[in-house]
Amino acid sequence: MSAHPGDLLSAYLDGELTARELESVSAHLEGCAECRRELQSLGQVRTLVRDLPPVDPPFGLFERMLRRRNRWGTRAAVAALAAGAVASVAMMGMASPREAHVAPHVAQLVDAHTASASTSGDPISEMTPAAVPVSFQP
Amino acid sequence: MAGEGAPTWEDVARSHGRFLYTVAYRLTGNREDAQDLVQEVLLRVRRGLQTYQPGSLEGWLSRITTNAFLDDVRRRKRRPEDLLPEDPDWVLPPTGGADVALAAEVLPDDIQAALARLPEDFRAAVVLCDVVGLSYQEIGQTLEVPVGTVRSRIHRGRALLRKALTSA
Repeated sequence: MSAHPGDLLSAYLDGELTARELESVSAHLEGCAECRRELQSLGQVRTLVRDLPPVDPPFGLFERMLRRRNRWGTRAAVAALAAGAVASVAMMGMASPREAHVAPHVAQLVDAHTASASTSGDPISEMTPAAVPVSFQP
Repeated sequence: MAGEGAPTWEDVARSHGRFLYTVAYRLTGNREDAQDLVQEVLLRVRRGLQTYQPGSLEGWLSRITTNAFLDDVRRRKRRPEDLLPEDPDWVLPPTGGADVALAAEVLPDDIQAALARLPEDFRAAVVLCDVVGLSYQEIGQTLEVPVGTVRSRIHRGRALLRKALTSA
């Protein structure tokens, strides 16, 4: 008798053998009661698993996921709209001819900085001006 | 990106939610992990991480589900070698087990419990074959293993199930 087919028995059940393997396994089965019993019990197991019923998902599982997805979608849309608005303003600013002549109020900024620096609570700074007044012509 | 004509995840949830949950439950063995797995699958569908090829939608979903399941298993495993024991004697019960008739009144919960005790790679092969109904070639493509390995995993998986169910 040929060697027991082993792994090939399940493939035999599933119709997954080549023609040559099928011939060989069939011939073996004819003469081997042990392998026939093995085949039968494997077939029972296969049937048990195949007959397992579908499983219902918990109530509302997918609906909850869909709702969550929609919220993500809304947030993403709001973020995209906001980003678009910012970009538009920036583009308008860049495109504006007024930007060609930048005239910052440097003098005011220097005065403000000087004032804040000289009144920082330091008694010596309060007695002495921290900087001479600056005049700036743009 | 997902392939041309790929269904959206909302389509999948609406039309194949029960199928998806069933496969996830058979693989994970409990409701909490099944829900997590379903969520991960829908995320992968949404992100287009798995290329869709026109054909069996269920086959495509099964592939994503099994890959997500095994990815998670491998992340959790501290000793990956436990997944695939090399010694066949460790896996295969004695042939004498075949003499023991399976009880006719085996309950689905008993079968599910036996499935849950299989090594994950064997379980995935058995679920893809007997729950989803894929061919050995399709299972090999899904698990990225040769057909010979698929044969071996399915056979050993069934033999272990038989042992668990007859000794229950």
